[in-house]
Amino acid sequence: MEDILRLTTRRAALAGLTTMAMVGMLAACASAPDAAPAPSASGATESQAPATNADFLGCMVSDSGGFDDKSFNQLGFEGLKEASAALGTQFKQAESQSDTDFAPNINNLIDQGCNLIVTVGFNLAAATDDAAKANKDINFAIIDDNSIDLPNVKPLVYDTAQAAFLAGYAAASYSTSKIVGTFGGLPIPPVTIFMDGFVDGVNYYNEKNKDTVEVKGWDVKSQNGSFTGGFAAGTDAKQAAQTLIDAGADVILPVGGPIFLSAAEAIRDASKPIALIGVDADVFETNPENSDLFLTSIMKGIKPGVEEVTKAAADGKFDSTPYIGTLENGGVGIAPFHDYESKINPDLQAELSAITADIIAGTIKVESPSSPK
Amino acid sequence: MSAVSQTSGAGADKIVLEKAFVKNWKAPISFGVVTIVALLLFVLNGREGTSSFKLTADATAIQLPVIQLPTVATGIVITVLLAGLTAYSAYRVQTERKTPLWIVAIFAFLFLVGFLAWAGAGASIPVYGLLLGTVALSAPLIFGALGGVISERSGVVNIAIEGQMLAGAFVSAMVATLTGNAFAGLFGAMVAGMLVSFVLAAFAIKYLVDQIIVGVVLNVLVLGLTSFFYSTIMTANPQMFNQPARFPRIEIPVLSQIPIIGPLLFQQTIIIYIMYVTVFVVWYGLFHTRWGLRVRSVGEHPQAADTVGIKVGVTRFWNVSLAGAVAGMGGAYFTLGSVGAFNKEMTAGAGFIALAAVIFGQWDPLKATMAALLFGFATNLQSVLGVIGSPVPSEFMLMLPYVVTILAVAGFVGKSRAPAADGKPYIK
Repeated sequence: MEDILRLTTRRAALAGLTTMAMVGMLAACASAPDAAPAPSASGATESQAPATNADFLGCMVSDSGGFDDKSFNQLGFEGLKEASAALGTQFKQAESQSDTDFAPNINNLIDQGCNLIVTVGFNLAAATDDAAKANKDINFAIIDDNSIDLPNVKPLVYDTAQAAFLAGYAAASYSTSKIVGTFGGLPIPPVTIFMDGFVDGVNYYNEKNKDTVEVKGWDVKSQNGSFTGGFAAGTDAKQAAQTLIDAGADVILPVGGPIFLSAAEAIRDASKPIALIGVDADVFETNPENSDLFLTSIMKGIKPGVEEVTKAAADGKFDSTPYIGTLENGGVGIAPFHDYESKINPDLQAELSAITADIIAGTIKVESPSSPK
Repeated sequence: MSAVSQTSGAGADKIVLEKAFVKNWKAPISFGVVTIVALLLFVLNGREGTSSFKLTADATAIQLPVIQLPTVATGIVITVLLAGLTAYSAYRVQTERKTPLWIVAIFAFLFLVGFLAWAGAGASIPVYGLLLGTVALSAPLIFGALGGVISERSGVVNIAIEGQMLAGAFVSAMVATLTGNAFAGLFGAMVAGMLVSFVLAAFAIKYLVDQIIVGVVLNVLVLGLTSFFYSTIMTANPQMFNQPARFPRIEIPVLSQIPIIGPLLFQQTIIIYIMYVTVFVVWYGLFHTRWGLRVRSVGEHPQAADTVGIKVGVTRFWNVSLAGAVAGMGGAYFTLGSVGAFNKEMTAGAGFIALAAVIFGQWDPLKATMAALLFGFATNLQSVLGVIGSPVPSEFMLMLPYVVTILAVAGFVGKSRAPAADGKPYIK
């Protein structure tokens, strides 16, 4: 009898503990007011936009970074949201947690009756190709990939090497240690194209000004360099930045989603005046916590690109000619120097304008093996 | 380990016991493969130039001279030495003796020097940065591995290390931001890791659910929960929820000025000091205290432990919880010790590497720590070589930590034997 009693109490205690643990886990996280209307979780969520043109439905599938990656997924999604708001249409989005989600997410959106599906990222090429072949009446747009040649797929690609060239020139001009560095998430073309242009820009600066600024972390000829092996802002990314700092770099270009956050921490630890160069958006604006560190940013017009293709598709003017963002059409560019305005060489802005003109005119050729053809 | 060899040569008046010796060619074969790799790279594919090894950072008070080695000559000398060690190891096996650990260590060290000299031809290799980065990258793995060791020694397989760390990272970032106190964040991380452990322990011990399945499910659950709350709460108001105060670097006077060792041991944040202490405490506790004896007994032979009056279920429950708290500290390292703000999927598989370190380290806290350090070293080597411009393609460099782990597990580590009752629920 006593045994049974003890057993029951123990069982009850354990069950209670488990429940407490579960509740505790939830409570620990949920202690804050759930104020954010941010879209999340996988699957499609419906927007609340007033539907005047109810026929059109613009949709988007993220890659595994998710729509809050502070980088290209987020920018693309903002483009879709703003275009839909302007058009007064609805939009839906599906967030991929991993590479296996791509095809199911696209199919989900097709079932939802989307007219346009924007797939964000190089990694979704195969899934987009399959879906576009199977659904000829639905339009697709894919960012960062130019491998699909179908009448219902519009590739949106960016020759970021051109803008990175300018950033490389600016970095070389700013550097006092005569060493600048770069590292990437993974060795894939949308990442290495930044690094190629950056190195070329530094070399052009050396040639022009008889200087010897060195780039650590990327070798254009062998296409080898420093990578963190993923796009997470964790200890690996911090260490990669730390290694560049140890090597004496005073300007660092981290390429790949949020990994610049780790680089920013490494700089704060080093307590040396080291500048960062942002990618994709003007990071000075998008990440105010670290805005004091950004010399400039290499901008890629993902947001306007998505906006444009969404509006065109809604107006029935969709076409499959690839959009290639260049310095000429403003699809890529570098951000203002903001806080660094006073610290750069006063002639730099003029020199950059001249280089921009030369690149547009074709007298300076910026070539990267990863450039869109 | 070398004591085995003494039985055969004993005098006639002593009783000579017959001893079966299984010739194990694993070590010489692994040595041979590595030596061939060395020959191919360092000698036949040698790179001209001088490799310099920088031992101290520029800013430190005591400066050690930069070691300059001619790359090709170093490669040849090292390859010859490696071949010699391989032959010696083969000779030992032939004469029925084991290859002791110190030979493995010397072999690995020589190969490493050769590889660094080869890869860094014409460049300067910052040895201090390499070692310092190793500690920075290994710290979460060490905490995770210690969590794994405690739990598995008590007989519960802890697949949920990743989940415990991720929960720790999330809660520590949030608590440290809300309270403005990093220590509160650390405490929060331990509690979070423990809560994850409670679930694992309850299902595994009380309800006898398969421990591996519970662990895997918990990892996915924590990943989903933290990602959800990150996307909804943290990104909406990072100032309020995701800007934790970080631990400052504490320099211990005088000791921190010792070259190489100083920055490693005496110029760290408090969480690294806690890590060094935890490694020692877990090791001492497991093998030299009553607590450790009980933990090991319920993990090895729960029936016997039960017979002498140790409460198996209770012992396991609290040790699995303790393991969660230790792994949770590893999670706190991500936010409070290293990167600052919490990010989605921040631990990026570190928990699974920690699990590998547990097995690789033969369920021993010290060896598991070494395994974690080895992994951290290989990861950092990859990053350093990427910066100095190595001839190895980036994709291969990214594989390096895993290749090193496989080589070490398959080639150099003896048999890994889990605690006998590890993963088996105890039914009275």
